[in-house]
Amino acid sequence: MASTAAVPFWRAAGMTYITYSNICASLVRGCLKEPYKSEAASREKVHFTISKWANGKPEKPTIRSDSPDQ
Amino acid sequence: MAMAALRREGRRFLLSSASSTPITARSAISNEESCLFGARSISTQIVRNRMKSVRNIQKITKAMKMVAASKLRGVQTKTENSRGLWQPFVALLGDGFSVDVKKNVVITVSSDKGLCGGINSTSVKVSKALTRVYSGPEKETKYVVLGEKGKAQLVRDSKNRIELTISELQKNPLNYTQVAVLADDILKNVEFDALRIVFNKFHSVVSFPPTVSTILSPEIVEKESEAGGRLGDLDLYEIEGGETKSEVLQNLSEFQFSCVLFNAVLENGCSELGARMSAMDSSSKNAGEMLDRLTLTYNRTRQASITTELIEIISGASALEG
Repeated sequence: MASTAAVPFWRAAGMTYITYSNICASLVRGCLKEPYKSEAASREKVHFTISKWANGKPEKPTIRSDSPDQ
Repeated sequence: MAMAALRREGRRFLLSSASSTPITARSAISNEESCLFGARSISTQIVRNRMKSVRNIQKITKAMKMVAASKLRGVQTKTENSRGLWQPFVALLGDGFSVDVKKNVVITVSSDKGLCGGINSTSVKVSKALTRVYSGPEKETKYVVLGEKGKAQLVRDSKNRIELTISELQKNPLNYTQVAVLADDILKNVEFDALRIVFNKFHSVVSFPPTVSTILSPEIVEKESEAGGRLGDLDLYEIEGGETKSEVLQNLSEFQFSCVLFNAVLENGCSELGARMSAMDSSSKNAGEMLDRLTLTYNRTRQASITTELIEIISGASALEG
């Protein structure tokens, strides 16, 4: 029941369950051996641009790229 | 053949002496129309150019179709596998389409690139219809738009409602990590009571009906489960560990969102490829038809000019004889 004890802590750090599970997943992927490791790492690539809108105008877009832990 | 070559030579000579304007396809015809001496037949240059361009376009559309078809195969298996992610959630929490809440957020999934038939306008249309369905006093609906094309269409008349836009999602092949990061960003930046994800569900290469998936916020799920109904069955489950029900529900609904979004993005990507395949197929077919018509016109004109020349020569010869 380690996860039970951990829940309030990652919540308090401002993480959502998605971030938490992603960190766990990436740890599990890190345990793989080559060549499976690099194959699994290719499924971890992140790339998209996101821009917030305020009053009908887009703000400057931010690019999220290869930073799953951010 | 020799005759035709001669005729062409003669015309070129005439043109270069008569006018100093650069000879483009268009100016050639206007010169022809102003009736030069000795230029008797209609120029086939323009038709030939047109045929060439149509043939090139056909080649491009055929290539695009091939690319879409080969990509589709991989994405389709991925999509079908991803369906297993959200189905347990629907079994557990239901879809909640009819749940009426104050803050609705419509997530419109569209593509970044065009030339794929009507899938983008379908999802935009459905999103707008949803806004009307959920509109009412003290209620508000916001949009989160995935993809350039959906954004371009929604900016026109409801840009004040757009909260977030996301693009370039399909630069790398889609994967869960990417969508999870995206889902996380949406959760952190948007306030909602219910998220309605609009996407084109892939049924087959020719059918992709627009679909709506609903994700309720944990508070609403709790309220609904107290009210009974399908969500009331949640109490039948035993919750392990020291977590409270609201904590479990929050985790569940966050995870549900990322899974459903992952599936939605994949389904839409798959539909996009299918739609592009059929759109490119029909446009190659159209180009082929156009090419046939142009070839016919071209051959007929050529034949006509040859016939005219033959008649002239024969009648000239017979006049000399007679």
